Amino acid sequence: MSITNDQTKMLIQMIKEFTANELAPIDMQIDRAGDYPDGLFQKVVNTGLLGITLPREYGGAAFDYQAAAESLEKMATGNASMAVTLEGHFKTIEQFIKYGNKSLNDEYLPSAAKRIFAFSMTEPSGGSNPKGIATRAIKQGDNWVITGDKIMITNGGLAEVYCVLAKTEDDQMAVFVVDKDMPGFKFGKREDFIGLKGVPVGEVVLNHVVVPDNHLLGRIGQGLEIGDNAHADARVLMGAVLAGIMEHELQTAVNYSKERKAMDTPLYQLQVTQEKIADIAIAKENTTALYQKGADNKVANKPYAEVAAMAKSYGSRSAVASGDKALQILGGYGYSHEYPVEHLIRDARAMELAEGTIEKMNLEITNAEIAK
Amino acid sequence: MDNNEIWVYVETVGSRIEPTSLQLITKAKAIADGRKVVAVLPEASTIKAENSLQAYGPDRVETLVDDHFTNATDEEIADALFQVLDQNRPNSLLFPATILGRSIAPRLQAKLQTGLTGDCLDIFYENDLLVQVKPTYGDNVMCDIVCPEKRPQMVTVRPNTFRAEKVTDFQTKVVKASFTFHKEGNSQIIATDPIINSSSKLDDAKVVIALGRGAYSAKNIQLAQDLAAKLGGMVGVSRPLTDEDEFTHDDQIGIGGASLSADLLINLGISGAVQYTVGIKNAKKIVSVNIDKDAPIFDESDFAYVGDVTDFLTALTAQVR
Amino acid sequence: MKIVVGIKQVPETDSVKIDPNTNNLVRSGIQGIINPFDKNAIEAALQLRDQAGGEVILLSMGPDSYTTSLRDGMAMGADRAVLVSSRAFGGADTLATGYTLAKAIEAIGDVDLVLFGRQSVDADTGQVGPIVAEFLQFPQVTFAETLELDSEKTLVAKRQLDSAVQDIKLTLPAVVTVRKELNTPRYETPVNIKESFEKPITIWTEADLNLDLAKIGQAGSPTKVTKVYAPTKDVKKTVTLSPDPAQAVSELLSQLD
Repeated sequence: MSITNDQTKMLIQMIKEFTANELAPIDMQIDRAGDYPDGLFQKVVNTGLLGITLPREYGGAAFDYQAAAESLEKMATGNASMAVTLEGHFKTIEQFIKYGNKSLNDEYLPSAAKRIFAFSMTEPSGGSNPKGIATRAIKQGDNWVITGDKIMITNGGLAEVYCVLAKTEDDQMAVFVVDKDMPGFKFGKREDFIGLKGVPVGEVVLNHVVVPDNHLLGRIGQGLEIGDNAHADARVLMGAVLAGIMEHELQTAVNYSKERKAMDTPLYQLQVTQEKIADIAIAKENTTALYQKGADNKVANKPYAEVAAMAKSYGSRSAVASGDKALQILGGYGYSHEYPVEHLIRDARAMELAEGTIEKMNLEITNAEIAK
Repeated sequence: MDNNEIWVYVETVGSRIEPTSLQLITKAKAIADGRKVVAVLPEASTIKAENSLQAYGPDRVETLVDDHFTNATDEEIADALFQVLDQNRPNSLLFPATILGRSIAPRLQAKLQTGLTGDCLDIFYENDLLVQVKPTYGDNVMCDIVCPEKRPQMVTVRPNTFRAEKVTDFQTKVVKASFTFHKEGNSQIIATDPIINSSSKLDDAKVVIALGRGAYSAKNIQLAQDLAAKLGGMVGVSRPLTDEDEFTHDDQIGIGGASLSADLLINLGISGAVQYTVGIKNAKKIVSVNIDKDAPIFDESDFAYVGDVTDFLTALTAQVR
Repeated sequence: MKIVVGIKQVPETDSVKIDPNTNNLVRSGIQGIINPFDKNAIEAALQLRDQAGGEVILLSMGPDSYTTSLRDGMAMGADRAVLVSSRAFGGADTLATGYTLAKAIEAIGDVDLVLFGRQSVDADTGQVGPIVAEFLQFPQVTFAETLELDSEKTLVAKRQLDSAVQDIKLTLPAVVTVRKELNTPRYETPVNIKESFEKPITIWTEADLNLDLAKIGQAGSPTKVTKVYAPTKDVKKTVTLSPDPAQAVSELLSQLD
């Protein structure tokens, strides 16, 4: 076994223990409360989880993307929300690593082990559509002045550093880094979503926020490319989260089928149950294979956007359908708030639209196939 | 060569004699096969515990009397015992596997350079060797252990493994052992506070109502507590319920928790994993309620009710005076 | 402060196999994990180091596979590890183990505090801590449920007995064994996991230590395991009560006392 494998094994073991002790027992509580309980996020920070992918020179552990993805898969088995919070953070850190200049990274990345970084594109007028972007970045001397309104940001309100997609005066797209302490920065509305209830999803409003030139990520004109890259990085991790949700659904369905009998026959011995359980197990394995391929390709510098889109598209639809099958197996208990199944469906449902809708995934996958 | 005696360490905290020591005197007498049973008793001059010990019929009590024993550390006690034991070593030396016993015995073991088997569930002689039956892996694997050459053969024995019995005619000799108390400079007991929670421990309760995962509900907890109060008993739980708000580690039965010696134990919604049943071996009568007819707990039970816990509890509460 | 934490690697699973030749448990082939109580000991050491400065050194006696647990302890934050490993140490009972560990601690030198978990969850003896303390002539507190630095050279600990709680003061150097209730062990962190593979593990055999060979391994073990077996379940004659609850209760009550 290589050292890297042993290190990843230890990491995954720790994530499993952390999840079992700190997250899984309060999974339903987080869903009911619509928030992380006091102290939970600090525990996550103190255990160093924000720095899993961060480079060593910035105080991180520099685990590879496969290890990060597997960590989120295991975490999502206990609580999908916290896994998505970390997904939002990790995917943003990737853009700093790939596109950030040294002085920007030296300024910001040391704090990435302690506070959340978020990536914001969506605006009231449009989601993934660049024509809809109204946020403006106006050059003034050595600085840029940014004004605009970003909504539905994963971890919006919790995150302290925001990458913002903006349009320059000559209509070029660019990504700038702002933080909450800058004058003109304001937090806005928090969404009231039906699932992933622990993850704050919110708005930031920028009113003439001034940033120095080095806060530009990459180059002017590279904004959409960075946005696409962020999407791909996110979708790989979402595939992992969805695989974790399906594992949770599978365990719930299997345990129930072992204990429960219909007319003296344990449910798992009935063909109708077997079909559902097999479907869930297969969908989980497929999604796992997809996200792992995405992570492997990314690390090997091979194209991974299409496979990442597949992981999210297939994984989200499967996780919702699997949740529904698990619900059916549990019967009345599945339909009850007292059992976890129904909130797993609501958690998974988000990923049929977040980071690009299923329909958009179809478009991207088709375009990728046509280009071959 | 040893002096062919079985020595039993008598632990006292204040004037309270540890019951396990009495249990060991009885057990030693039962397996002695001609050997003398000697109780060794460090105590302050005012305690005079030998007067209570005589009723359990040891052949001899060796008292180590010094007022420092009111507050002696593990090292000081081990040192005193070593002085008395070293020159004329007994065949065997039994300690209670209490916190103190498990702390003093290994120190003494190292001084005597002999063998010690801890937390035994049984002891018996095969010729001259004391066979020491010890559980390992959380009581999943049993080992028979012997100490063929070194003397004394030392063991610590789990509390409530044996029962203490008084004898009607005893002729106990009381002898004051000669030793010098060596005060240690580098350790000191600065306070000993009696535990204020003097309500009986689960280990000693005569009636126990035990709740498991399968019975966990507000209603069942209430019913169980009411029933326990009616019967003058206590409520205990299996390990999983110690994670719930209503219960703590003190309520746990089994590995890491209480070993029951109850006359009546009622198991509710408990499946009967080994980790639990280890703690109920010495309960006299066991009644178990579980919805699963194949639950292993029924193998340990005198009475089995396959059905709903709430129904059973309600009916029992109604019919008990 | 120079703190040594004695740790042991134990099988992860409850189902263990028995070697019919040695009558000991087969320790290979089963995933090893760090003894859970040892994590509390490591945590206590780390807290003292965080407070008073110094070094936390893990010490274990066992085969090469024990490096897994030593890495785990370093991934919690311990600074380095020493593994005492050789065929000559095999088959040791608590006396031989305690002797060997005591010699290793002497070889590490200038140790202020030795911590152990209260017992290992395989052998369940809890004897090695006090034996080491006796060989080193250190004072001890066992089953500590609180542990605090009182001054640069003294520690205060609480130990709960059946009927009383003791407050015990020790002058360093000393040995302390700890209970689960003492603290909540910190998780390994991703950075510490990476660093644990960079921190040194020193391996010592009997040649590296100043030992009396008659006191180590099987030769130095007064006790012998003669038989290993599964506990026998006493067969009880169970009376099944009527399915109707009221009926069942009256049956039960009539048969009790």
